[in-house]
Amino acid sequence: MRMLSLAIAVTIALAIVSLFIGVSNISLLGLLSASPEERPMQVLLISRIPRTLAIILSGSAMAVAGLVMQMIVRNRFVEPSTAGTTESASLGFLVATLVVPGWPLMGKMLIAAGFALAGTALFLRILRAVPLRDVMLVPLVGIMLGGIVGAVASFIAYRFELLPSLLAWNMGDFSGILRGRYELLWIGFGCAVLAYIAADRFTVAGMGRDFTTNLGLNYQRVMVLGLVIVSLVSATVLVTAGSIPFLGLIIPNLVSLMVGDNMRRTVPWVVVMGAGFVLACDVLGRIIRFPYEIPISVVVGVIGSAVFLYLLLRTRRHA
Amino acid sequence: MKSVLLAALAATVLATSAAVGQDIVVAHAQGETSLTGVPTKVLVQDWATFDNLHALGVVAAGVPASNAPRYLQEAVPADALRIGSLFEPDFEGIAAADADVYFVAARSAEAYGTAKDILPTIDMSLADNADIIGGIEGNLTKLGEIFGLQDKAAELNEALDAKVAEVKAVAEGKGNALVLVTNAGNLGVYGPDSRVAWIHNQLGIPSAMPDVEDGDHGGDGVSFEFVLETNPDWLFVVDRDAGTGESSGAAAALLDNELINQTKAAQAGHIIYLDPQAAYITMHGYTGVMLMLDQVLAGLNG
Repeated sequence: MRMLSLAIAVTIALAIVSLFIGVSNISLLGLLSASPEERPMQVLLISRIPRTLAIILSGSAMAVAGLVMQMIVRNRFVEPSTAGTTESASLGFLVATLVVPGWPLMGKMLIAAGFALAGTALFLRILRAVPLRDVMLVPLVGIMLGGIVGAVASFIAYRFELLPSLLAWNMGDFSGILRGRYELLWIGFGCAVLAYIAADRFTVAGMGRDFTTNLGLNYQRVMVLGLVIVSLVSATVLVTAGSIPFLGLIIPNLVSLMVGDNMRRTVPWVVVMGAGFVLACDVLGRIIRFPYEIPISVVVGVIGSAVFLYLLLRTRRHA
Repeated sequence: MKSVLLAALAATVLATSAAVGQDIVVAHAQGETSLTGVPTKVLVQDWATFDNLHALGVVAAGVPASNAPRYLQEAVPADALRIGSLFEPDFEGIAAADADVYFVAARSAEAYGTAKDILPTIDMSLADNADIIGGIEGNLTKLGEIFGLQDKAAELNEALDAKVAEVKAVAEGKGNALVLVTNAGNLGVYGPDSRVAWIHNQLGIPSAMPDVEDGDHGGDGVSFEFVLETNPDWLFVVDRDAGTGESSGAAAALLDNELINQTKAAQAGHIIYLDPQAAYITMHGYTGVMLMLDQVLAGLNG
C-alpha cells in the first residue's frame, strides 16, 4: 500500500510537470498573480489541463484494456495492438469517415468501437481453431490478423486518397488536444472503472472456462463484457489521440511482476503506472526537440519495444 | 556547273536539317540527354512539369495516373495515356508508347535510371528549395529550348517575375508569417527550406520562427500553443488532407479554436489558405505558383 501511494505521488508530480511544460511560459507565480482572462491562465485551461487529462485518461484506460485482454485471452503478450483491435478500430473510423463524414465524432467513435469489437471477436474465434502450445503463437496470430485488417484499411484509404489521414490516426499524438477535443476519453476511463468493478470476475475468467463455470459464473458474459471494455477503450483513444503501441502490454506485465495477478489488486497499479508512463513519455517528447514535438507513439514505441524485448527474453529464460 | 550543283545540294541538305532540327543536348539534374529534333510525343510523370508544359502550350501524350490537381484537370487531354503513379511509373506502358521524350522529376526522379535506357529521359527536379521561382524559370527556359518555344518561355518568365515583384511590394512591411501544414488534426510548420519556401525567400515575408528545420512532408510537429506563442502577423495554411484528396474545410475547422483565435493573424483575419494541391503536389509548376501568388496577393490586400 505504501508502494502504491508512492507511485501515485510520482504520477501526480509528473502531471504537474506536464502542466508546466510547453511553448508558452507558465509559472506558478504568474498564475497566482494573473487574472483569469490573461494568457497564462487561458493556456492552462484551454491547452495544458486538457492535454494532461487526456494523457492520464488514455494511458490508464489503455493499460487496463491490455490487462483485461490478457485475462480473457489468458496470454501475457496480448493487447489491443497485438490482437487486431487497434487496426479494426482504425478501419472502422476510416469507414465512418467515408460513409458518414458528417456525423459527430461520438457517432464515428461508436462505429470504430463496433469494428474493434468485431475484429477482437474474430481474433478469439481464430484462437479457438488454433492448437495453442506456445505462448508466442497467440500474439503472432493477433499481429497477423492486425496486418490483414490494416492492409484492408490501407487499400481502402489508397483508393479514396486518405492514406495520410490513416497514417496520422495510427500515429498517437497529443499535440492537437484542446478543451473540447478530448472529452470522449472519459468514456474510456469509465470502462476502466467498470473493469475494476468487475475485476474479480476477470480474475476468475483468467483461470479458464471450466473453472469459471464451476464457480457459477457465466463465462460467456464475462468475455463479452471484457471485449466491450477493450473495444470502447481502443476506439476512444484512437479517435482522440491515435494509437499508442505496447502500452497495454508492458504495464500489466510489469505490474504482474510486482504484485501478482489478482485483478482487484493490480488494477489500481495498472491505472497509476499507465498514466505515469504515458505522462513521462509525452513530457520527453515535448522536451527533446523543444519547441517542436515528437509524437507520443514514437517515444512510447522506442521505450516500449525495449521493455517488450526484455519481457520476451525473460519469459523464455524462465519458461 | 558541278560546283553549282554541289552548292545547291549542300544548301538543300542544310535547309532540311535545319527544318528537322539538329540534335540538342539537354543538361539536367542526372546528366545529359540528347534529343533529335523537336519532340512531338511527350510523356510526363510529374505534375509540375505537366503544369509547365501546359503553360507553354505543349500537349502531353502521357500523364500520371493519379493525383491530378483540380486546377490542372481541364488541361489533361481525355485520351492521354496513364503512365503510372507519381512514384511508380508504368514502364511497360512507357516502352510501348513509342514517345520522343519522357520527363521525370521530384517523386519520380528515381525512375530515371530505368527509363533512360528505354527512351530519352530528362529529370526536371529542382536542385533545392532555396530558389523555387528561379528553378521554375530555369525549367521553363529549358523546356522552351527543347520545344522551340523560347519566346513563350521568356514571356512566362517575365510574367512570373512581375507577379513576384508585385506581391513582394505589397508584402513589404506587412509583418511576419508562419506557414502551417495541417494533417488529420495535427499541425506542422513549414520553414525557409520547405516546398513553399518562396513565401519567405522570394516574397521577403519574414518567418515568425526563423529556425524551422526543413519540414518536408508534415512539417515540424507543433502544438496550438506554439502558434499562439509565436503569434505571427499572418498565417499561411496548407491543408495537406485536402492536398492529397480529402475534402477541404478540415483545416479551417481545425484552426477555429480558442488558442488560434487569440493570435494576431486570426484576430486581423489574416489567415490565408493556399491551394493545397498546388502547394503540396505540384509545388514547382508555373500555373500552380501563379495561382498561389494570386492567393497570397488577394489575402494581403484583403
